Amino acid sequence: MSQNNRIDGGLIDRSKSLKFTFNGAEMSGHGGDTLASALLANGQRLVARSFKYHRPRGIFSAGSEEPNALVHLRRGAHREPNTRATMAELFDGLQATSQNHRGSLEHDLLAINDRLSNFLTAGFYYKTFMWPKSFWENVYEPIIRDSAGLGRLSEAPDPDTYDRGFLHCDVLVIGSGPAGLMAALTAGRSGARVILADEDHLLGGRLNSELNEVGGQAASDWAAATVAELADMPNVRLMPRTTAHGAFDHGIYGLLERRTDHLASSGGKPRQVHWRVYSKRAILCAGATERSIAFANNDRPGIMLAGAVRSYANRYAVAAGKHVAVFTNNDSGWQAAADLAAKGVAITAVIDTREITPPATIKGAALIMGGRVRDTAGRKALKSITLSNGLTLPIDCLAVSGGWSPNVHMTCHQGARPVWNEDIAGFVPGDKLPPGMSVAGAAAGTMTLAEALKSGVALAREAVQDLGFPSAKTKAPAADDEAFAITPFWQVATPKRAWVDLQNDVTTKDIKQAQREGFQAVEHLKRYTTLGMATDQGKTSNVLGLAVMAEASDRSIQETGTTVFRPPFTPVTMGAFAGSARGKHFRPTRRTPSHNWATEHGAEFVSNGLWQRAQWYPEASESDWRAQQWYPKTGQGGWRDIVNREVRKTRASVGLCDVSTLGKIDVQGRDAATFLNKVYANGFAKLAVGKVRYGIMLREDGICYDDGTTARMSDNHYVMTTTTANAGLVYQRLEFARQCLWPDLDVHLISTTDGWAQYAVAGPNSRKLLQKILDEEYDISNEAFPFMACGTVKVCNGTPARLFRISFSGELAYEIAVPARFGDALIRVLMEAGQEFGVTPYGTEALGVMRIEKGHPAGNELNGQTTALNLGMANLVSAKKDSIGSVLSKRPGMQSEDAFELVGLKPVKTDEQLSAGAHFLDIGAAADLENDLGWMTSVAYSPVLGHHIGLGFVKYGHIRKGEVIRAWDGLRGTDVEVEITSPHFYDPDGGLQRG
Amino acid sequence: MADYKLYSTSALGGYDRDFDGATLKEVAGLAVVSVAVPLDGKTALAAAVKSAFGCGLPKPALSVLSKDKSVRLVPTQADQFFAVFEHAEADAADQIAAKLGDAGYYTDQSDNWVTLALSGPIARSALERICPIDLNPEIFKVNASARTVMHHLGTLILRTGDHSYLLMSTRSSALSFVHTVETAVENLT
Repeated sequence: MSQNNRIDGGLIDRSKSLKFTFNGAEMSGHGGDTLASALLANGQRLVARSFKYHRPRGIFSAGSEEPNALVHLRRGAHREPNTRATMAELFDGLQATSQNHRGSLEHDLLAINDRLSNFLTAGFYYKTFMWPKSFWENVYEPIIRDSAGLGRLSEAPDPDTYDRGFLHCDVLVIGSGPAGLMAALTAGRSGARVILADEDHLLGGRLNSELNEVGGQAASDWAAATVAELADMPNVRLMPRTTAHGAFDHGIYGLLERRTDHLASSGGKPRQVHWRVYSKRAILCAGATERSIAFANNDRPGIMLAGAVRSYANRYAVAAGKHVAVFTNNDSGWQAAADLAAKGVAITAVIDTREITPPATIKGAALIMGGRVRDTAGRKALKSITLSNGLTLPIDCLAVSGGWSPNVHMTCHQGARPVWNEDIAGFVPGDKLPPGMSVAGAAAGTMTLAEALKSGVALAREAVQDLGFPSAKTKAPAADDEAFAITPFWQVATPKRAWVDLQNDVTTKDIKQAQREGFQAVEHLKRYTTLGMATDQGKTSNVLGLAVMAEASDRSIQETGTTVFRPPFTPVTMGAFAGSARGKHFRPTRRTPSHNWATEHGAEFVSNGLWQRAQWYPEASESDWRAQQWYPKTGQGGWRDIVNREVRKTRASVGLCDVSTLGKIDVQGRDAATFLNKVYANGFAKLAVGKVRYGIMLREDGICYDDGTTARMSDNHYVMTTTTANAGLVYQRLEFARQCLWPDLDVHLISTTDGWAQYAVAGPNSRKLLQKILDEEYDISNEAFPFMACGTVKVCNGTPARLFRISFSGELAYEIAVPARFGDALIRVLMEAGQEFGVTPYGTEALGVMRIEKGHPAGNELNGQTTALNLGMANLVSAKKDSIGSVLSKRPGMQSEDAFELVGLKPVKTDEQLSAGAHFLDIGAAADLENDLGWMTSVAYSPVLGHHIGLGFVKYGHIRKGEVIRAWDGLRGTDVEVEITSPHFYDPDGGLQRG
Repeated sequence: MADYKLYSTSALGGYDRDFDGATLKEVAGLAVVSVAVPLDGKTALAAAVKSAFGCGLPKPALSVLSKDKSVRLVPTQADQFFAVFEHAEADAADQIAAKLGDAGYYTDQSDNWVTLALSGPIARSALERICPIDLNPEIFKVNASARTVMHHLGTLILRTGDHSYLLMSTRSSALSFVHTVETAVENLT
């Protein structure tokens, strides 16, 4: 195709020729073109099929409001559906295809829908697909889903990258039309930090589409000069190709910057950047969007907004038709006609709905005042229009202007509603704007050029003065104050379909039907008819639709109201919200100091929050564990064999476990003991220096939320250990207590979780192993360093360390901690030194098995619902002091005799498997809530006992030991008889850990 | 006792990478000691700091260098600051305690953090992609400091020169952190 519709002038770069394809047809355009302008230049009228009726559609607008010309852009995984041709900048090699048709664009098989339109009216889904009920999911829905929608996703992972960022400014100016440029200039000259963002690649807004004069020069030249001045200001950041899509709390705005969408390839760099802008003031200069008039068959390719036809002629040097007529209810339609005529485009007629004296004479055009367009003809492109006086005009382009709607969207993002302004026949911002926002230019209903320029200056001056900047003496340049008069006219009465919302195929008939069926409320209207939904969110149709509803329901437009405007202003790619947080980098990961060593030894890792923890460590002979079958019932095979070995070897000799992930909090201060005594339920006031104590912490409501140990290193220095999962929570709650509850205490907290590599050394040979690495002066005999002792020591010839004699496994055990930098070295030394004892590392699985054998509660038991009484630790809640939660833990409901109590469970038939989550029932009782005795919290196969064991909560647990109940698991379909036992399966007297 | 000796490893093994317009490297061997101000002890601590380092306590959001520029005091919260200095041994808290006596409470934080130095003409632009705070040079001046969050990770940022910053984040997530900063720089170069 050649560019037959190209005319003189414009702001395109004719020295740059760009080739592109549309549905495989080769075409060409120029630098500065959009895909839409290039398609029009090449005479491509039919570009899409409509959503429901599959009607032929052409380009309707010249901006982001485009409802029709949505295409697939690019190929393969890069294909992006629903791209507005009016916003896609042309680049060499661009490939676009039309969407939403079965068969070719020209011969769409689903165009049959157009003939069935009488059956496909608003709400037809709800009425038509009711019977039979079973057909909905299996027949109707798949068919509807297959035929509905616009573009299609590639269904391949998005190969592009995205980024996010943060910007700060004094004044954010949204929109770079006359008001926006003057606002930015005024604020910039005052020294304020300014961000000027516009969705267009060429800053200037409508100044680039109209032929007015500003400051004695062509509007587009003035815009270019002003942009150049702004670009030279170090305090001004110009952001073309950037859409401000949302106004959020505290002056925060969301901006989507399209960095490489105008290039053939992103070159591996982020395609788009999603900015969060922190502004002190924002001036919304978003302009206005033109709307159409509803008349019969007003959706044909070639029927366009008058302002768009003007843009294509003035900015892109494209005549949208050879024979153009204008249909308008306001003066801007005449300005479009005048501009086109000046460019040599034949204007056949100007049809104005107003009975007034023609505002202008247009060379060669019939001027028809009080006229109406009654119908149109031309299946795939407009051929003629018929007027209400019976006259038929052969034209190929009808430029329609039904008035301009101020772009008030972002003024409403925090809940405000716009108000109707009869003078301009449009909604303007209401009184309640987002804090810090002001609105200038057409967005505020200031519809003339000179006034828009002045309003930009005035509001910027106000903003910078508010912020304490000296106000620069910027004056608005002289400009035409062109006429803007409108007499609202919404629809030409017709029995045929007259489109209101082109994107969703909503006609005046649909709106009237919604009104008849009771869907008069504007939110109901939207949902019943789909008016204003989808990618354009009704930018060209909402006001028209409301007006039609208002007329049908005999209400004013203000009474009819608007739907709520929500972010985003235009669609935002999901990838841009994610930025670089994708795949394995979706969230950070944390590694312990022994991670590299564990990896070298084939450890299998598991995510524990952000932490990566080793689950088990296969030995060389176990390296094929993944290929081995494991048997849950017998607790043998595959990875289970590794875990069983780790448990057996630890209990028989010595094992090592990386416990660096446990939360560690340094607590210091003269009042540290008092503080700890208040945050732990049990007593800590008298903990001696060099001793560790186990403690539980309650929430204010008496529920137990964490447990751990705290060691007293010196008089005023304690080291607290929390569970891995609750490290952050405990720290947060302690800080709250310190800062808000007891600010008069001298106590100071700081996390040291990351600072220490800490290993549990457990088993009968743990002391011997540690003695090999401790410096000689340290005596850790049972007498010198008994159970629950702690101290500062040195290992491996002088490395500072901390040693705690605590045991989670029930064995003689210690935890040794060194600064994290030595963590890798220490695990290797411990393994080497432990060779003579057959030392084994053990992972979180073996850790779990041994703590269940020992009856220690963990996350499954401390689940946010259980009390100290439930956990069998009621005696730990000291009655001699006040601590957080102690009062409310004494509530009658939390002290009842039938409270759930932690017990051990073992299967009566020892070859049976237990499952966590099973509920307990008496023998013969029905499985219902009334008979529910509690639930199984943790289970494990105990390699020491040779059968499964479990922990669980049972009503009256403490007096039912020895009784047999059932562990019924409705999910897994099991029903196992279990005996209630002590939770301490292993070494119940604790002799080993004290030995 | 066998003749064992523990070697030291840095969080990122000495990461050091040049980009077009920026250099990003791990700063190893940096000692970090938190100094908590005792209740009602601010005056005494200020006097001890003045005597030991020849400078005052750091003001909010602005670090201060000791007179001999060997120690940087970085404010971290209302009653706490960090003393940051070059010192390879694992006794940093003792070093500070020796200077300040019992005027404060000290916790060795050296192993809690990974420290990255980002410098070069595009450093600030790269940080715009990950750092929520305002790094405008007139606002975030040389020696300014702030605690913030970068890609979910708590970060302490310090401006050390016209185009140079120190970024401190938790050691355990050092790989994720360096990836975040690296990606921000790569996206610009």
